[in-house]
Formats: sequence, C-alpha cells, structure tokens
Amino acid sequence: MRRRLPKASDEGLAGCHTCGKVAAVSEGRCPRCGGKLHLRKPASVQRTVAFLLAAAALYVPANILPVMVMSEWGDVMESTILEGMVEFWKREAYPIAVVIFVASIMIPLIKIVALSWLCAAATGRVKPSPQVLGRIYWFTELLGRWSMVDIFVVSILVALVQFGTVMTVEPRPGALAFGGVVVLTMFAAMSFDPRLLWDQLDLEQATDTIPALPDNE
Amino acid sequence: MQRVVCHFCDTLHEAPAVPEGTAARCLRCGVVLYQNRPASLVRTTAFSLAALALMGIVHGFPFLIMRAGGMQTELSLYRAAHELVKEGSLVIGWGVGLCTIVAPLMMACGMLYVCTPLLFGRAAPGARVVARWISLTEPWNMIEVFLLGVLVSLLKLGQLADLEFGTGFWAFAALMVCMAAAVAGIDRNELWDRLEVAGE
Ligand SMILES: [Zn+2]
Ligand SMILES: [Zn+2]
Repeated sequence: MRRRLPKASDEGLAGCHTCGKVAAVSEGRCPRCGGKLHLRKPASVQRTVAFLLAAAALYVPANILPVMVMSEWGDVMESTILEGMVEFWKREAYPIAVVIFVASIMIPLIKIVALSWLCAAATGRVKPSPQVLGRIYWFTELLGRWSMVDIFVVSILVALVQFGTVMTVEPRPGALAFGGVVVLTMFAAMSFDPRLLWDQLDLEQATDTIPALPDNE
Repeated sequence: MQRVVCHFCDTLHEAPAVPEGTAARCLRCGVVLYQNRPASLVRTTAFSLAALALMGIVHGFPFLIMRAGGMQTELSLYRAAHELVKEGSLVIGWGVGLCTIVAPLMMACGMLYVCTPLLFGRAAPGARVVARWISLTEPWNMIEVFLLGVLVSLLKLGQLADLEFGTGFWAFAALMVCMAAAVAGIDRNELWDRLEVAGE
C-alpha cells in the first residue's frame, strides 16, 4: 500500500488562513500576520449547517415576497424575483431570463444543497470522492456572489425610476430576505473547511486496510 | 527549505521557488499552492493606482441617464445605495454601498499602500494589518456583479423610457478590469514573503 502524503496536522503544523505561513499550531497566533492558527476551522460543520438552515428558511420568503413595487400613473405593480424573470421570458429576452433564473433561483438552491452534501460527507454520512466534492466547493465559492445581481437591479431601479406621479419604483421586504439568503450562503461557504473531506477519506482508507501489510515502497 | 500547506487538503509540501509565470500545484488535490507572477509588485501598484483614478471618474459622472415625462434621473453608485436608505431599506442600502463603494475603495487603497513601499524593499507602517484587511474585504468587492445588474436594468427599462449610457458606465467597466488585474497581479504568499523580508 502506498503511504499517503504528509499532512501538516500530523506534525501539529497549521497553514495560516490569512497569509499562508506554516507555523506550529501551539504558537496560537501566526508569527507573520498575527492571525489565529487552527488545525481545522473551529466548529466548521456546525457553523456551516447553522448558516445553511437560516438561508433555507429565508429562501421561501425571498422567492414569494415581492422585491419591489413599480407604480406607473397610479397603476401599482408588485413583482417577485420569479415574476421579473417571467417578464423577460415573455418579451422573448431569453438569455437575460436564463441569467436571472440561474443567478437568483438556481445558484442559492444549488449552494444550499451542495454545502449540505459537503457537510454530510465531512462527517462520514455519505462517501463520495473528495476530488468531486472539492470541485463542488470551489464552484459554490466562485458562483455565490453572482446571486447578488437582483439586489443590485432593485437598487438601480429605485435610484433611476423616480418620476413622481409618472413612474416610481420602491423596494419591498422580499429584497431584504433575498439579500439575506445570498449573504448567509456566502458565510456558510466561508465557514466550511474542505480539509475535513480529506480527513474523512484518510480515516476510511485507514480502517479499510486494518490488517495492513508492511509498507513496501 | 520553506514549507507550504495546501489550504484545501492540508498536504504539507516543500516550497522551492518556481520559474516566473508558473505556479506550484498541490500533489494530492491539484489546487494552486503559490505562483511566481512576472513583475507582480509593479503590476499591482499600477493597476491599483489606475483603479483609484477610475473610481474618481465613476463617482463624478452618471452611469445611466433616464428620461421620462419631461424629467431626467441619473444613476450613480452613491445614488444606488442612498436611494434605498432614503426609501427605508437601511440594511440593503448599506449592503449595496459596502459591496460597490467601500470594498473596492478599501482594496485599491490597501494594495497601493502595501505594494508601493515594497517596490523599494520597505514595508509601510501597519502594512500587515492593511494586508489582512485586504484579504477580508476581497469576497465583498462585487463590482462585476453590479455591472451585470446595470445591464439587466437597462434591458428592463429599455421599453419604458429613454435611456442613455453615461461616462460613468465606461469608467466602471474599466475599473472592473483594473481591479481584477490588480488582485490577480500578486500572489498572497509572495506578498507576505516580501512583507516578512522587508520587516516593519
Ligand atoms: Zn498569517
Ligand atoms: Zn491539496
């Protein structure tokens, strides 16, 4: 059996989160930048799950409450994120409808599901390959920010469409719920420690080969 | 020999210097460990400076100008955040301002403050604190997302009213490119190695 590559935590070393310096975790703080040193992010899975639950709870009001209201000559029309997308679709602006659907509806949902899956894998409840999981993690961190686009659209419309009785746009509480979902899923991704996935893999390989033969490299 | 830890899988590696323009990758998971970017300090300094200059233009000129019913409104970064606050959406208003005004400004100023003295082999006072703040702020800098928001809004309002691009829009697009180039210009490990060598 091939010996696995050495891990920093085997030797009580930690890579600093902020500056990347390798230092003994017993020092407590990074000698280079002063950041706190941890072998693993503390309570990573618990914190990630907590943020995910909060995000999932807000996901419902974020999608059923209107995010803004437009009044045109006294005609008041509230619209949710989904209605905004449908409107583009009806006007045959398909690419933009798809962008909104992916950024606002799919990405938050994918992030919540993917991070829950990662938490399950990190605690050994499911056993997929860590390479795949690593890629999922990287993907969720990269894409999460784009969900913010609808919040910016609301802010832009509110700033631009201020024509007194002719036409105005005002924000509605749905926008707050939606912004909450985006920020909470970002915090969830930041709290998760991908190294736990590899720890779990090493643990499984160690137990798989308990009647271990002596290493012949 | 200096050592480096993969932040993704915790594998410990020796860290030899790599040729300019190349990156060292983790043996186990393949994530980039550190890079040697050509002329990194000069590039980061120059792009941060350009980004700051562009921010001046972005805040001085409107993005979009909209005309309806004989009236005219203008969109700027400040108004996008401020109108929300005025309408009573304090939290979102401040959030938008944080992601589009405060975070980019802090990053550009911070990179300039840290990298310029390093060009001469010195560390500015408090450079370590500033460098930590840069990495904390980075995920909240969302100018590229705001740009997409401008385009979506444009399509949304296009049939309702008369819209016109302003100078601010083009400056903002250029700002996005400069910020991305400044951030990509320097490797985190390299920056901190240089700070460590320069001392404080
Ligand atoms: Zn550090
Ligand atoms: Zn790795």
